[in-house]
Amino acid sequence: MTRPANRVLSTTELQAFGDELDALRRRVTADLGPSDARYIRRVVASVRWTGVAGRALLFLGAFVPVLLWPAWIAGTLLLGLSKILENMELGHNVMHGQYDWMGDAQLQGSTYEWDIVATADNWRKTHNFRHHTYTNVRGMDDDIGYGLLRIFPEQRWKPFYLLQPVIAVVFALMFQWGVAIQDLRIGRWLHGKMTAAQLWRTTQPVARKITRQLVKDYVFFPLLAGPFFLPVLLGNLVANGMRNVWTYVVIFCGHFTADAEVFPKESIRNESRGHWYLRQLRGSSNLAGGPVIDVLTGNLSHQIEHHFYPDLPANRYAAIAREVREICVRYGQHYNTGSLPRQFGQVMWRILRHAFPSRAPAPQPLVQGA
Amino acid sequence: MATPTSPSRSADATRRWLDPAFFDFWATRFNPLWTWAQPRARLVERRAEGEGAVTLVLRPNRHWRGVGPGQHIELGVQIGGRWLRRHYSPSVTSGGCFEITVKHAAEGRVSPYLARDAQIGEVFELGQGFGDFAWPAGTSPITLLAAGSGITPMRALLRAEAARGFDRDVSLLYWVRRAEDACFTAELRAMADAHPRLSVRLWVTGEGAPRVDALTQAQWPATDTHVLACGPGGFVQAARQRAEGQVASFQAEAFSTPVVTAAEEGEVDVHLARSGRTLRLPRGLSLLEGLEAHGLKPRHGCRMGICNTCVCQRQSGATRHLLSGQHHDEPAAPVRLCVAAPTTDLILEL
Repeated sequence: MTRPANRVLSTTELQAFGDELDALRRRVTADLGPSDARYIRRVVASVRWTGVAGRALLFLGAFVPVLLWPAWIAGTLLLGLSKILENMELGHNVMHGQYDWMGDAQLQGSTYEWDIVATADNWRKTHNFRHHTYTNVRGMDDDIGYGLLRIFPEQRWKPFYLLQPVIAVVFALMFQWGVAIQDLRIGRWLHGKMTAAQLWRTTQPVARKITRQLVKDYVFFPLLAGPFFLPVLLGNLVANGMRNVWTYVVIFCGHFTADAEVFPKESIRNESRGHWYLRQLRGSSNLAGGPVIDVLTGNLSHQIEHHFYPDLPANRYAAIAREVREICVRYGQHYNTGSLPRQFGQVMWRILRHAFPSRAPAPQPLVQGA
Repeated sequence: MATPTSPSRSADATRRWLDPAFFDFWATRFNPLWTWAQPRARLVERRAEGEGAVTLVLRPNRHWRGVGPGQHIELGVQIGGRWLRRHYSPSVTSGGCFEITVKHAAEGRVSPYLARDAQIGEVFELGQGFGDFAWPAGTSPITLLAAGSGITPMRALLRAEAARGFDRDVSLLYWVRRAEDACFTAELRAMADAHPRLSVRLWVTGEGAPRVDALTQAQWPATDTHVLACGPGGFVQAARQRAEGQVASFQAEAFSTPVVTAAEEGEVDVHLARSGRTLRLPRGLSLLEGLEAHGLKPRHGCRMGICNTCVCQRQSGATRHLLSGQHHDEPAAPVRLCVAAPTTDLILEL
């Protein structure tokens, strides 16, 4: 596969590149106001209403048996939609602190808790800090293959990876569980680098969260339906499964497409802001698709913009993207975007290809003299 | 700062299963005051109060525990998509409501909004009462020194005392810039007429009245007097110096908006509200670096202002954003320690 041509920037150019992107951030920050607040409140309302409507439809079948299947299908889809919106456009974005400036106690990044088995506190650490600061840096960003998959030829091959086409499917179906245990670092315990007592301690908050989620979706709401227990339980299971697969697809498209790059640890020594921006650009990929895809992906369709400005409200990304793209083109940098089928096709190819031994291409320098 | 409510064990257990945000969303569709735990108040009446001031009557929900005389509350008002929080001194009225008085010409964004734009029925966030003015025990005389908006807690204290019938000599000295700035004058005069042991004196500095530290010995209370002072920081400081060693006791509460300077040199006092420590931090360094230089280890991540790990509440004071250069002085607002340098004395929720 040929790599896209990226101009190798001089130190001066890199500085100017970073300055332009910083200036864009300042302009947007200064402009935040009522329309952004209205937007996120509309998202909150959508999550609530679709959630209640979905659960109500799942119950409907209990009382009107002839509607059983149509109500079950519509209810499951709506509940899945609600969970997707809550997870991506609401939870993920609020936890980045995107709406902290509103001063709304229920939309604060440091305290928001989302509706999945993973705890928000662990997510803030693995995602907001590690993944966003050290994006696609090998050995620092755990999101590269999540310790399960070999996505890039730069990862050392092991026979275990031959199983990854199957593992990847299981991982997609169970994605929220993967996120839940990511920060427990069970591998460290298996390798004897952590005592069982330490693992037990860090597991407690996760265990509480998992219990809450399981009781809610698989005991409380099904029991409310009485004899209709099983269909409600299955509806919740499928809704959670929909969300798992969808978030997996979106997140994998964000950093694992054909043109996405990984970086060695040395690349971030004394990293300048311009270099950081450049690394975010080269490690991220967008999804072209328009407003519906934007909302359903929590605006991670603008993965590049999200990585430049993880703390700016996501409803701004579409507008920001036009300027970002123009800046990238001007500096001769490839702007990685494509349709969902195209991007996910590339991800699937990577998963299949790198299950087998593969050799990394010669590293491409980001800047002159590097 | 409003004292946080300490949730009981059962409330904790409930919270684990019921998300307050879920309850609030649906309950407030029916009545905006029906929240799980958040005290809120609805604006039920507004009336003109003297020249350019408005008294707002607010009805709190059941989560509000009320205020003692002379205490303050934090009121959260939504303006332009943001919740802005300011302190006011409420007077509790009959029927479970309370009142606050605001001026049209007040500085800032919240008081002018409340005075001019707030609509009947509008709902505000509310904090629990706080403040340490304590009516001194015993029978020795009391003098209240008030300047500008500092009159409001004094009025609440006097109302409470009037209900008990004034069993000691109380005098109120009230400074304003112009005579028409004075609030509650009719009420205060009526109170003084009804209670011979209460005296009220208005000092109009714009008409040549002496400032608090220029009062003569005859104008100043006797040495067995308890003094309570409330007003802008400068006024309270002057009153404190004048009272030093001259009175039986001195209590004061100051309010002031920080004076934002463009200075990037020098040091400021940063008070850490949770740990109770006060440190000298340089204006030229980020708060994170400054705190680390004192051996503290605040929670942090990226050190470049993107991951939000080091975010904490700035209760008061101003900070400079190190990347944008902008100054922020909104009280009770989140600040990221790694990209914010202090410009004034600060209180941080750390």
